[in-house]
Amino acid sequence: MIGPDISNLAVILITSGAILLVAYLTAISAKDVIRLLISLELMFAAVFLAIIPLFSINPPMAYAVAIITAFTSSTELLVLVTAIILLDRRKKGIGVDKVAVGGDSL
Amino acid sequence: MNIDTLIIAVAGLFAVASSVGVLLTKDNFYAALYMSVTMLFVAAIYAAFNIQPVVVIIALIFVGAVGIVTVAIAATYRARVSRKVNIFWVVPVIVVFAILAFAYTSLAVESIEVVNPGVFAAVATDYFFVIAFLFALVVLMMLSAIKLARRVDL
Repeated sequence: MIGPDISNLAVILITSGAILLVAYLTAISAKDVIRLLISLELMFAAVFLAIIPLFSINPPMAYAVAIITAFTSSTELLVLVTAIILLDRRKKGIGVDKVAVGGDSL
Repeated sequence: MNIDTLIIAVAGLFAVASSVGVLLTKDNFYAALYMSVTMLFVAAIYAAFNIQPVVVIIALIFVGAVGIVTVAIAATYRARVSRKVNIFWVVPVIVVFAILAFAYTSLAVESIEVVNPGVFAAVATDYFFVIAFLFALVVLMMLSAIKLARRVDL
């Protein structure tokens, strides 16, 4: 026995929670959409960690959730890269302050 | 804490430290690099549990594709200074983390035992339609992105 008596489940969940909270902090302090994209990828990393306990209950479903997470992350990257390109073309910059409101203009 | 849990805890500590590096660095390029390092440590935790297919998925898709594209974009737009984190947001985050850590250490006392690790081959048949629909989703999103990008004039 080394150190405090703590299970690997608690270690995984604490690590996942810590990465998720740091990702939230990064997202709310982001000045441009690239940092926002990076913070979203960090959130996916936290999600990947949170899947691990599912491997001890239902491994096929855990693999399926991992694959869905990977596809979702790739699609999210695709959408955000397109958003970065469009924002740069229209607003001549990628700062989040260039987008004051969301949705279409009336 | 046995040696396996210690290895997982050390990898998790490095992963959290890398994610804090994303938060603190002022350069987008280094932030993307720290993000890739965080992904690698997450893959290391999976490797510690001997869940090798997910290690490959993370290394190839997350670090190899998503991470590299993010690093390339961040290197293009690296001359940006990150906004400082407001102290009023750090305090509630620390409080939430303390509550989470206390709850997990007191309630999550069971250890994770990965069962049946060789079941990955059955995923392609058991979840065939899920994977097919995901491929269709990615192709549809790619075509939509190309259409959107071409419609906006320079």
